[in-house]
Amino acid sequence: MLTCQEVLDNLSCYLDGEGSEELRRELERHIARCARCFVVVDTTKQTLRIVADCEPFEVPLATSALLYDRLAHFFAGLL
Amino acid sequence: MTANRRQNFRPEEDEDAPLVERTLGGDQQAYEQLVRKHEQRVFRTAIAILGELADAEEAMQEAFLKAYQNLPTFRRDARFTTWLTRIAVNESLQILRRRRDAASLDDLEAPLQDLRPSRVEEWYANPERRYATAELKRIVEEAIRALPPAYRVVFLLRDVEELSTEETAEALGLSIPATKSRVLRARLMVREALAAHFEKPPTLRSRLRRATSMVRNMMAMAFERPAGRLGGR
Ligand SMILES: [Zn+2]
Repeated sequence: MLTCQEVLDNLSCYLDGEGSEELRRELERHIARCARCFVVVDTTKQTLRIVADCEPFEVPLATSALLYDRLAHFFAGLL
Repeated sequence: MTANRRQNFRPEEDEDAPLVERTLGGDQQAYEQLVRKHEQRVFRTAIAILGELADAEEAMQEAFLKAYQNLPTFRRDARFTTWLTRIAVNESLQILRRRRDAASLDDLEAPLQDLRPSRVEEWYANPERRYATAELKRIVEEAIRALPPAYRVVFLLRDVEELSTEETAEALGLSIPATKSRVLRARLMVREALAAHFEKPPTLRSRLRRATSMVRNMMAMAFERPAGRLGGR
């Protein structure tokens, strides 16, 4: 059986759907029996979903405007 | 590994290729389209490394100007976005060097954090629904902001911009193993920060469950017996 440390080391593999079929099976077997690892795997999965859904650090509109201005000036200088 | 990838990458796979070609042919509007399409990623890269909005704005502008000027030297052995992200990383690091004297991302490396999770209570079902959108965003951004910069940029590229591990490594000039290790640590640190908001209060049952699984684990390790015999279920 994998140790909790091994589960942790291979967590990304598992979440990203990488690694061998056998490794995945071993991980699932461990998680089914270990409440602690179950929570860690489950909440890390949730973390990634929540983070991606809320689109953190969107470009502020004013920041875009500054960028377009700068480029427009640059292109005008090229003409 | 990089050489391998380069052989595998086919230029026709790059959806930006037509806009790149038109830009090279002197079409400035084509470049504006590339800017609009990729400003979000460039901004996230810059804000991740620099932390300050004003610095990120400067890095972003420099990156898009540099990319335009250097476009004739762009060898199509990587995606345009990967190449552009790499320029954004370099511009950000240059500004950082001016601000604080860190020479590279490696100098930004925080000492390795303990990987072991400390918050291990279950979360509420759909915990994000317990917060208003703006509040949730603030919580998530706060969690990411709290990461050491070297982890922050890896996390934003891999898990927010959803680049592959290989693309993240290439954009940051890191090895694949280094990238993987940072991605994992960053994920666990963000999880830990979010847990403070999303986890249920501990119950006697959850504590017992954890104690049981800890003992089971120690036994499994000590005797190296198949787990099935230990569970008794
Ligand atoms: Zn475990």
